[in-house]
Amino acid sequence: MKTIRLLLLPLLTLIFFVSCDINSSDDEDIEVPPTYEFERNGESTVAFSGQTTRIKMADELFAAMLDFDNTTEELLLQMYRNQDESGNEVDPYSDEELNASTKSIKSKVAASRDYFTSNASLSVEIKNDFETWMIGQVNEVFPNQNQLASPGVPGQIADGSGERYINGQGLEYDQMVAKSLNGALMADQMLNNYLSPAVLDEGSNREENDNGETAEGSNYTTMEHKWDEAYGYIFGTSANPANPVATIGSDDIFLNKYTGSVNQDDDFNTIAEDIFNAFKLGRAAIVAGDYEVRDEQAAIIQESISKVIGVRAVYYLQAAKRQIEDDQLGSAFHSLSEGYGFIYSLQFTRIPGTEQPYLTNSEAEAILTDLLDDGENGLWDLETSTLDDLSEQIADKFDFTLEEAASN
Amino acid sequence: MKKFALFILSIILFWGCTDDGPSGPSADDFDREAILENWADNIIIPSFTNFSETTGQLHTSAETFAADPTQQNLESLRNSWETAYLAFQHVSMFEMGIAMEFRFRDYLNIYPTDAEEIENSIQSGTYNLELPSLTDSQGFPALDYLLHGLGENDDEILSHYTTDANAENYRTYLTDITSRIDNLTHQVLDSWTSGYRDEFVNNSGNGANSSLDMMVNDYIFYYEKNLRAGKIGIPAGVFSGTPLSSHVEAYYSNGFSKALFNEALTASVNFFNGIHFDSETNGQSLDDYLDYLNTMKDGADLTGLINSQFQLAHDEAEALNPDFAAQVESDNTLMLSTYDELQKNVVNLKVDMLQALNINVDYVDADGD
Repeated sequence: MKTIRLLLLPLLTLIFFVSCDINSSDDEDIEVPPTYEFERNGESTVAFSGQTTRIKMADELFAAMLDFDNTTEELLLQMYRNQDESGNEVDPYSDEELNASTKSIKSKVAASRDYFTSNASLSVEIKNDFETWMIGQVNEVFPNQNQLASPGVPGQIADGSGERYINGQGLEYDQMVAKSLNGALMADQMLNNYLSPAVLDEGSNREENDNGETAEGSNYTTMEHKWDEAYGYIFGTSANPANPVATIGSDDIFLNKYTGSVNQDDDFNTIAEDIFNAFKLGRAAIVAGDYEVRDEQAAIIQESISKVIGVRAVYYLQAAKRQIEDDQLGSAFHSLSEGYGFIYSLQFTRIPGTEQPYLTNSEAEAILTDLLDDGENGLWDLETSTLDDLSEQIADKFDFTLEEAASN
Repeated sequence: MKKFALFILSIILFWGCTDDGPSGPSADDFDREAILENWADNIIIPSFTNFSETTGQLHTSAETFAADPTQQNLESLRNSWETAYLAFQHVSMFEMGIAMEFRFRDYLNIYPTDAEEIENSIQSGTYNLELPSLTDSQGFPALDYLLHGLGENDDEILSHYTTDANAENYRTYLTDITSRIDNLTHQVLDSWTSGYRDEFVNNSGNGANSSLDMMVNDYIFYYEKNLRAGKIGIPAGVFSGTPLSSHVEAYYSNGFSKALFNEALTASVNFFNGIHFDSETNGQSLDDYLDYLNTMKDGADLTGLINSQFQLAHDEAEALNPDFAAQVESDNTLMLSTYDELQKNVVNLKVDMLQALNINVDYVDADGD
């Protein structure tokens, strides 16, 4: 088996290069700029303010989850929904621009065209998971802020020289919310919505794009804009969004951050560049009307972003294993709370060329169940052998190994 | 067939080994247990024994002061605090076993202390000192604040314990803290004398979980993070770019930070050389291990290099003001040059010594999220 794999690699590489060659002859009329800058009549055609807004809303929501003195259940739910219970406008954010926006996090959670248009029941279930975690933070963790956590008892636990706030099972709700958004909001919208031909080619998008017909009141074609919206979910808060790889990892606490983390691992050290180049070439292909090249680039992005999520899921499980072995329970719980969110995010990944995630909703849920059922108190009872089993289960679905993902 | 393949493989393997470096004694042949015994019986347990006596005295002095908050009792409490704080410098590096489980060093010596949090706890009168979030409002730095930082002069300080509306809470908080220091210390000492000593000495193999590997890692971690960075580097602004005079150890005291630093450096030197606690006797330690392996660096003997570098750091620090906060504010360059001398031994210890002893570093800087 191993030898076959070894042989496959050069073979695949060969095939890859051959296919590249064929493409390049097709690509002659695609003009790829050095940075993500595209213009029409001297004006930029790139726009993704809606994505920047949602990333910032998610930032504020995450911070609010640990603001013991000022946060209420109502406030968290308003930050998630940007509405009150009756659907009225609310101003829950500290940033006035966010308050002025009518967009919300919740409306785009588990809301992609490919995965959820005909699966409203699962979409609602996932949207509600986030609310359950926010409510748990306020009702279970907040009252125990100054309580030592113990099995079955929420409270604080030491992590290095700091402390973490966990529920009775050892999980940090704030981490579950933040890390799960990587999949449920960012990856799902990017991979399964905006990069999908169902969205890019909707209606007369191709015809308009071929004719350079811009959307009403805008300088971009609808297809260009959809592609940019995908781009915004990873580079929407970059210091320089046109040249974002320079600061990858430090521009948000979501996909940008974790693409940066994975990129620091020698086993994956071109992944940020690969994602950026695919976005750039795909966008240039749209300008040139070459939809085959566009979809090839979408496939690269789908595979790479999925890999970021898969690698981080395994990475945190393995980090926790080491920490448990070193008796650093608080650090292990923190890793596992982050890992929980990345495992949850796996159901929003996308195997290129299919309509399937690398792990389905039920596969991801099964892993999360196994993570918590070694005993009645969840992470407190977790065995390190379980962590290896689950890591293997995840790594097996991808083309990286457990060892590659565990190092960093 | 299999056997033959194995044979060939072993030959290749052994060739690989002998090619690797100059031949000489192997790190694995040394009597590691002799070092562990010397550390446990002549350094660690005597240091904890001595420290526990000083924490007992500290708590007694605090109780005396709380019962009768006079100038005289304040002064004698301050003396007990100084004695115990100095003795603490000899045990701070031994963060293993139950001490690690307790996070002993964090509960006893996180600075700067959080004065606001201390005041809040005193106001409310309800606090749980076991909470990780309260590590920075207890231990020696909190006492520093309570004994030196509550007012401009002793009359003002004393008034918090006598006429203040919360005077009783101040007195209770004070003795709660000294009692916790004393309790934790006795628990760590008891663990060493009732079983952990043998476990420590008997775990004399090599590998990441052996006592020697773990102790050496703890030692270097302590030297790097707590001594070099905590006592000198952080207040000098090495990591932040801006000097932070309020981050010195014993900030509120009247110039005690240098004495604590010197004591900690002495303890580090003694540990490296195996010098028995409170004695001149020199037992087995890392210096002997390195000598046994004939460890050289750039043509010089590594033990000698490390010891002379310790001396250089000590000499550089001689010129420092007894109050490091004053030193940072008046002439920070002297702090920085002391830091540089300390840093040179981080390289000697963490790179050269660990390589010679075939020990891996078991800690990394946290990624912080």
